[in-house]
Amino acid sequence: MGGLQKKKYERGSATNYITRNKARKKLQLSLPDFRRLCILKGIYPHEPKHKKKVNKGSTAPRTFYLLKDIRFLLHEPIVGKFREYKVFVRKLKKAYGKTEWSSVERLKENKPAYKLDHIIKERYPSFIDALRDIDDALCMCFLFSTFARTGKCHVQTIQLCRRLTVEWMNYVIASRALKKVFISIKGIYYQAEAMGQLITWLVPYQFSHDHPTDVDYRVMATFTEFYTTLLGFINFRLYHSLNLLYPPKVSWTLKQSQMKLSALSASLARVVSTAEEDEAELDQFPVDGEDMANMEAREKEQKQEEAQKKLFEGLKFFLNREVPRESLAFLIRCFGGEVSWDKSVCIGSTYEVKDETITHQIVDRPNIDKQYINRYYIQPQWVYDCVNAKIILPVEDYFLGVTLPPHLSPFVEEKDGDYVPPEKLKIMALQRGEKPAHEQEDEEEEEEEDEEEEEEEEEDDNEEEGDDGEEAEEKNLKKMEEQRSQGKSLSVKVTAGKVKVENPARLEQEEKAEEKRLAIMMMKKKEKYLYDKIMFGKKRKVREANKLAAKRKAHDDAEKSKKKARK
Amino acid sequence: MAPSRRTKRVVASQPGFLNLKSSSGAAGLPSIRRKRVNKNKKKNWNKHSDINDVTEFLEDVRHQERTIGGLLSDKSDDNLFFLDVGQPKKAEQKVAGFASAPLHHVSCYLLYFPLLSHLSPNHLFCPHPTSVLAYQQPNAKKLRRIGQKAEQLAAKGVVPRRQKQLLNRRPADRTAKKAVTEANNNPDREYYDIWGQEYTADPWYLQQTGKKRVKRPEKLNEKPSVLPAVEVIAPGGSYNPDFFSHQALLQEAHEVEVKKQKEEDKIERQLAVNKEHIATEETILREQVEGLVEEENEEEAPNEEEEGVAVGAITVAEKKTERQRKKERAYKVKEQLRQANRYQNDKRQQLFQLRSIKTSIKQEEQETKDKQKQRKAKQEAQKAQPRRLGKLKFKAQDMEVQLSDELAGSLRQLKPEGSVLKDRFKSLQKRNLIEPRERAKFKRRLKLKYVEKRAFREIT
Repeated sequence: MGGLQKKKYERGSATNYITRNKARKKLQLSLPDFRRLCILKGIYPHEPKHKKKVNKGSTAPRTFYLLKDIRFLLHEPIVGKFREYKVFVRKLKKAYGKTEWSSVERLKENKPAYKLDHIIKERYPSFIDALRDIDDALCMCFLFSTFARTGKCHVQTIQLCRRLTVEWMNYVIASRALKKVFISIKGIYYQAEAMGQLITWLVPYQFSHDHPTDVDYRVMATFTEFYTTLLGFINFRLYHSLNLLYPPKVSWTLKQSQMKLSALSASLARVVSTAEEDEAELDQFPVDGEDMANMEAREKEQKQEEAQKKLFEGLKFFLNREVPRESLAFLIRCFGGEVSWDKSVCIGSTYEVKDETITHQIVDRPNIDKQYINRYYIQPQWVYDCVNAKIILPVEDYFLGVTLPPHLSPFVEEKDGDYVPPEKLKIMALQRGEKPAHEQEDEEEEEEEDEEEEEEEEEDDNEEEGDDGEEAEEKNLKKMEEQRSQGKSLSVKVTAGKVKVENPARLEQEEKAEEKRLAIMMMKKKEKYLYDKIMFGKKRKVREANKLAAKRKAHDDAEKSKKKARK
Repeated sequence: MAPSRRTKRVVASQPGFLNLKSSSGAAGLPSIRRKRVNKNKKKNWNKHSDINDVTEFLEDVRHQERTIGGLLSDKSDDNLFFLDVGQPKKAEQKVAGFASAPLHHVSCYLLYFPLLSHLSPNHLFCPHPTSVLAYQQPNAKKLRRIGQKAEQLAAKGVVPRRQKQLLNRRPADRTAKKAVTEANNNPDREYYDIWGQEYTADPWYLQQTGKKRVKRPEKLNEKPSVLPAVEVIAPGGSYNPDFFSHQALLQEAHEVEVKKQKEEDKIERQLAVNKEHIATEETILREQVEGLVEEENEEEAPNEEEEGVAVGAITVAEKKTERQRKKERAYKVKEQLRQANRYQNDKRQQLFQLRSIKTSIKQEEQETKDKQKQRKAKQEAQKAQPRRLGKLKFKAQDMEVQLSDELAGSLRQLKPEGSVLKDRFKSLQKRNLIEPRERAKFKRRLKLKYVEKRAFREIT
């Protein structure tokens, strides 16, 4: 029974945590400064497991930080700068109050400023770490770059964000890195692949801001301050990885060139001539037979990817004034197309509407007065859908004034057995290289879109339904009948026997199926039970998908009948 | 030394000696009677002999020598006086301060400016002193030589080395400012390859000079949530959605709304007033006459209470007999034996129950395993959840959804839904990067005082 009595809350979790106010006092900072420091240094509040223990018996909700984190903050040189700034503000106020303009001038000249470079290096020791965390930075910069010059944030911040985002977009164009794009009701989602990292970002629509009141602008500005620094360094590195000059080349006066760059029609200056950095061929290694197939598949994939990168190459676009210029120009240039717009809309247009070589004009209004015969007039969704489908889609569905097919999200990945909307199925078929036979197979879908053709085809509809195979058989039968009618009598002949062709693939398949069946038979009771359960789940999924498809068909039919009734 | 001192002393005793310090003579004669002491001891000499007058005199002599270059009494009248012929112009410029006062007596002039004395007035308007030392310069010859040489060299056009060095020194640029750190949001700021450069300074040097940065703990680089930075909206959120995905999104939004409605209803139900609790006329009346009307039941109650007291009394246990005790003890022993036997028997029997025991153990293990799994799954799910980081709980923002009739036919007519700014802010909260917080309310420190303005008061 010896020893001192143990005091409560002097060991364990109570000593590992510190409340926000205590931390603030320890650092001798005001609350806004403390928040700013935490955001910049990447130190976040922590929820302890046993709040009552940490809170010394009280259950009041508090914000806790880990004590070690705060101790780490004590070493930060920026803390000193914050204190200096506080003093600076005080002095400035005093000078203003006394109307000592000379001292105001002097103080302003020596305004304390701090750098975040060392924090970037500390938080992201390697470039790839930084690249992994770039999503947030991009979103924030794109967001701030769309802000108007209201008092909500500093004008300089907006300009910097604008510059950085334009630089980033130009990098994506130069490296042809864009993968997916999705127009949502919130904004436009993009996904690109840089150095093997998938990067997603959200761009708000222009002029769509009503400034919400329940957002802390100071916090957002602090995040942006950090992210602009980060994005700048990343941009620098990315540009250099492509042998591009980093602050993109300034040809005229600064202002103009920046505008030109932001118009996304100028290409970037290279440090090294382009010939040198041709795509390096994949090294060939001697491989085993097993890897061979893999390798081939990979090569094929790569070739496909290369082709996708040149999706719009050779096409010449012209953007009408009512379409979102920046987004479309970015997209088209990402895939190698040429793009221009009316001179009065924005600086940087390269050719005019009258240019005869334009292949596509992007229009978003019901009709247009003067049409050139040698170009397609299409709605902007075509460009987005082409990018997602990775092929040039048929333009008919996107003509002027036509009801558009739905814009599907490229971010959904269906597993087998899931319900797949018919529009997606169609695109997938196109991707596989199957030509959509307008007259026969897809007429159901066609009907929705081409209202003119609908009525003509109406009669054919009923007769032409059926599978490919059936049709072929029918044709054969017809031929035979014709022959019969011609020859009048069946000629009895002994024909040479045909060798029954054994399809090795099919045999293999059968063998596999047999194996599977046997394996199922040999299962233990327990495993069998589990297997059955899984299979049941799969079947249920399929059933549900079928149900949805049927529903869709019913819906479509209803729509069609409605349309007919209207006519 | 001794003879000179003697002469000085002699001079001092003479009546013609002029004392430079006025105070020295006037300092009161000691009127106190002299103390008598033995003079045969050296100690007493030092202690009791008054040497003030002597020291003062010596001081004065030294002063005179320092300032005039000899004793005043030795000087001839020529040396001490001069003819005032107005003020020379140069002097006026040089010593404007005291040129205005006419100077007649050097001694009085010297009295006031003893240190300046040999600088100027002697030089300017006094005739040269007779002493050679007065116009001999130390190292004069050497200096003259140097001067001559310099002149020669200058004539040749040779610039001395020292001057050359001075000329060569770069003029300090006073106008250049200190290197100012530019603001972080400067739109034209420069970037560089921050990951390319390696350590420039010697780590040992940095450590010794205290400039080494503290290493960031690895744990800080972990993200506080597993959620992705950008959560892509469901496919139904497309501007031109597929019918079914749009319906699915609507369904989801509907469910959220229903849940909210339910919670609201619940609160309303709990707060609703129970109809039975509302006072009717009858209850009001009863309340008013409470205690006025006597009731019959009251009389019966006390009787019951008395009976209860009688029942509750403690009964004293009777004493057991010896026989009873013996019997009890025997029974106890027997019981113990029986229990032991039973225990033994059970143990033996367990040998035959091995299988069932095994199964039960297995079952238990399975149960614990399942529980572990469940707990782990729960923890994983928790990682994606927003934590409780402060006073407020995280509140998800409203789902962005457009009803079927709100959907735009084309991109031009699209009306954006929700705010990206808010979406980003909520995402930061959801990922536990910042704690949910309410905007600080404005609190007035001093109460407002309303005063009717005079002009207004006059009208009313």
